[in-house]
Formats: sequence, C-alpha cells, structure tokens
Amino acid sequence: MSKTVLLVEDEFLIAMDLKLLLEQRGWIVIGPAATVVEALGLLQNARPSVAVLDVTLKDGPVTRVAEVLRARNIPFVIASAYELPEHVGGEALSGAPNVGKPTDERDLFRALEQAVQS
Amino acid sequence: MNLEDLYRLLRNGHLEAQGIIDTVPDPLLLLDQNLRIRSASRAFFSTFKVNSDDTIDQYVYDLGNGQWDIPELRRLLEEVIPKSAAVVDYEVEHDFPSIGRRTMLVSAHRLFRPENNSRFLLLSIVDATQRRKREDEQAVLLGEIRHRMKNLLALVQALARQTTADGRSGEEYKDAFLGRFNTLVRAHDAAYTQEDQADLKEVVERTLNPYSEGTGAIVIEPGPSVVLEPGQVVSLSMVLHELATNAIKYGALSTSTGKIQIEWETETASPPRLRLSWRESGGPPVTPPTTAGFGTRLVQFSVSQELGGQVELNYQPEGLVVEIVSPL
Repeated sequence: MSKTVLLVEDEFLIAMDLKLLLEQRGWIVIGPAATVVEALGLLQNARPSVAVLDVTLKDGPVTRVAEVLRARNIPFVIASAYELPEHVGGEALSGAPNVGKPTDERDLFRALEQAVQS
Repeated sequence: MNLEDLYRLLRNGHLEAQGIIDTVPDPLLLLDQNLRIRSASRAFFSTFKVNSDDTIDQYVYDLGNGQWDIPELRRLLEEVIPKSAAVVDYEVEHDFPSIGRRTMLVSAHRLFRPENNSRFLLLSIVDATQRRKREDEQAVLLGEIRHRMKNLLALVQALARQTTADGRSGEEYKDAFLGRFNTLVRAHDAAYTQEDQADLKEVVERTLNPYSEGTGAIVIEPGPSVVLEPGQVVSLSMVLHELATNAIKYGALSTSTGKIQIEWETETASPPRLRLSWRESGGPPVTPPTTAGFGTRLVQFSVSQELGGQVELNYQPEGLVVEIVSPL
C-alpha cells in the first residue's frame, strides 16, 4: 500500500523541495497547501497516513489543521524554525515531533516512519 | 585636635555622605534596625512622589499609606537580609498607588556600628520596569530574527538540494546553484528594502541584467507600472532567472543571433491581472523537453502556488514563448 502524506507549507521553494524529496522516497504527496483553508479543504477529500506541518501559514497559524488531524487520528510531524512551535501554534501542536527548519532529510524520514508506525 | 576641628571634620564627612547619596540617580533609603527610615535620597522623593516629612522616621511598611507593605519586601527585610551581609537586585513587583505597576530591583547592604551594637540597612531601589519591558521586547525581536534567518537558510537548503548534480561537474553544479542563490539574494534586496514593495520593471531589469549586459539580446518593452508584494517579487525573480538560464543552455541566448522580448500589461478584472510574456526568437530550432527538470517545475510551481496564477510554456519551433497570467 502506498503511503500518503499531506504537506502544509507556505514558502513555495521549501514546499517544492519537500514535495520532491517525499516523492523521491515513494510517498504520494497531497498538497502542498499554503493556507489553513487549503489544507482543511484537502483533508475533506483525503485521508493521508501522516502530515508534515509548517506552523505559520499565509492565513495564520496551522492550529486548526492540527486539531482536525488529531480528531481524525492522523499523526503529524512539524517542520518549523520555531524552537517551541506550541508557543506559536497552541496546544494542538504540543507533543508532535519537530524536525526543524532547515530540515535534515534523514530527520524528516525517520520522524515520518515513526509517526506512521505508532 | 580641638573640638572645633573635630566638628568641622564630622560636618564635612556628613556633607560628603549626603552629597554622594543625593547624586546617585536611583532611590536610596537608610533604615535603622527597627526598619524606620533614617534618611532618604532626593531620588527617592522624586521617584515615589513623596516629601521628606512623610518619610523620615516612618516605619518602612507605613510609608505612603502602606504602599511599601509588600510581601516580597517583607521577606527580603525579615528573612533574606538578616542571613546575609548584602543582597543585590532582589526583584519586587508591585502596584504602587502613585506610580502604577512597577518592577523594582532592591539591593541592600547591612552596616554595623560596633560602639553601640546597632545595625543599619542601606537600601537602593532601582525601577527596572522600562528596562524589563525593553528586554522582553528585545527577546521577542531576537526570536523573530532567528526564525527568519532559519527560514532563509531553509530556502538556500532547498536550492542546494534541488539543483541537479547528475551528469554535471562540480563547477557546473556550483554555477547553477549560485545563479539561483544570487537571484534569491537580489530578489530579497528588492522585496524587503523599499517599504516592502517593488516595481515590476525594476524586478525584471535587476533579474535579467546579468544575462543581457551590453548585448541587447534581451528587450524589455515599456509597460504599465505594477507594484509587487515581497512574495511576488521573489517568485517572479526566480521564474525569470530559470527562463534566462534555460535560454542560455538551449534557447535564444545560446546563439549570438537570438533575442528575448519581454512585455506585460495589466487587465482590469477583480482582482486586476498581470499578463506577462516572454518570447524567444532567433535561436536554434526548439524541441519540447521530454522530462520536466527542476527549473521547469520551479516556474510552474512558483506561478501556481505563490502567485496564484497560470503559466503556459509553448515550445514553438522558432522559440519558447511563456505566458504568465496572475492576479495582482
């Protein structure tokens, strides 16, 4: 079964980089979504195995997306330059692994594998 | 030494001490062992808006209708100080009726008089409210700068990772990467230095300048003034750079006879639209590429994701024609 990942990132070069990286490793990428509205729209029609979230999007913090993912039991990984993403994006983000930004691809894939296994 | 000399000596000593106390800009209090005010500095009176009569000989907790009867200060005076000779910058936060909520840093020094076994306490009170506020603001600002720096580094990482290394020498990879990197740097300069907006004409000229110097191979037609947001500046710059490097490798700029014509117009719609075209001619015959490289993807991605518009790449035999339509 192919693994699907929802990619939420508003900086187009970074979004592109992550999308290409993920596709090279055989992931099917939904997105990238640059806004909360876009991400929620994509989630209405899809059930990804996992999500990669940036914290601050074009239309505000990613909080609502994280809440919907939690409610639907879809694990997610944060890729943010903030050291404490929950300070910016709220409680919904706490406890999720932050692979950081710039993102080391090994950290990203390790976190994704762990997220889908747990 | 006679009595008069002795008196003069004492008096001079007293004047000196009072002079020192009044010179220090932070409030100072001298308390006796029963915590009554023996002396206070001018700065104390002016900072807390009290006068000498209301202050001297008062019990410290009764000062100014009890505004100094603060649990943190009681702890300092009754528990901390008796156990130590000096205390530095003990923080007391309190709502003072006369001057509002303040953060005070209290320092204390114990003085001992052996001849009658009495103890005195010298207290300095520094109002650190403004400083704390500035420090907090600075911490927020520093955090934001760090965040932006990491984001910029992530952009550079993305370019480094996605610039093709396959089938290229190290030198070629370096040139390709640095071409993109320099475009990003110039785009950021244009985007963020002039009140967060830039003019399309400047952006086009600035981006294509390195490729057209003196040759006249790139013709930028005069067009209407279009003001761009930082995000639009960065993505349009990257798009133009990719088109230019592609033209050098395979298109109009790979021969001495080739030309590129760039023109744009704005269309009244809601929101208004920009229509920009890139037309190559006079180069070698064009054949459409069989696979989309990073450059082509970047062009498509940047226009659709960042500009929210559409791009068409027409590989016509006489030259590549690119049409970008995007909302402004």
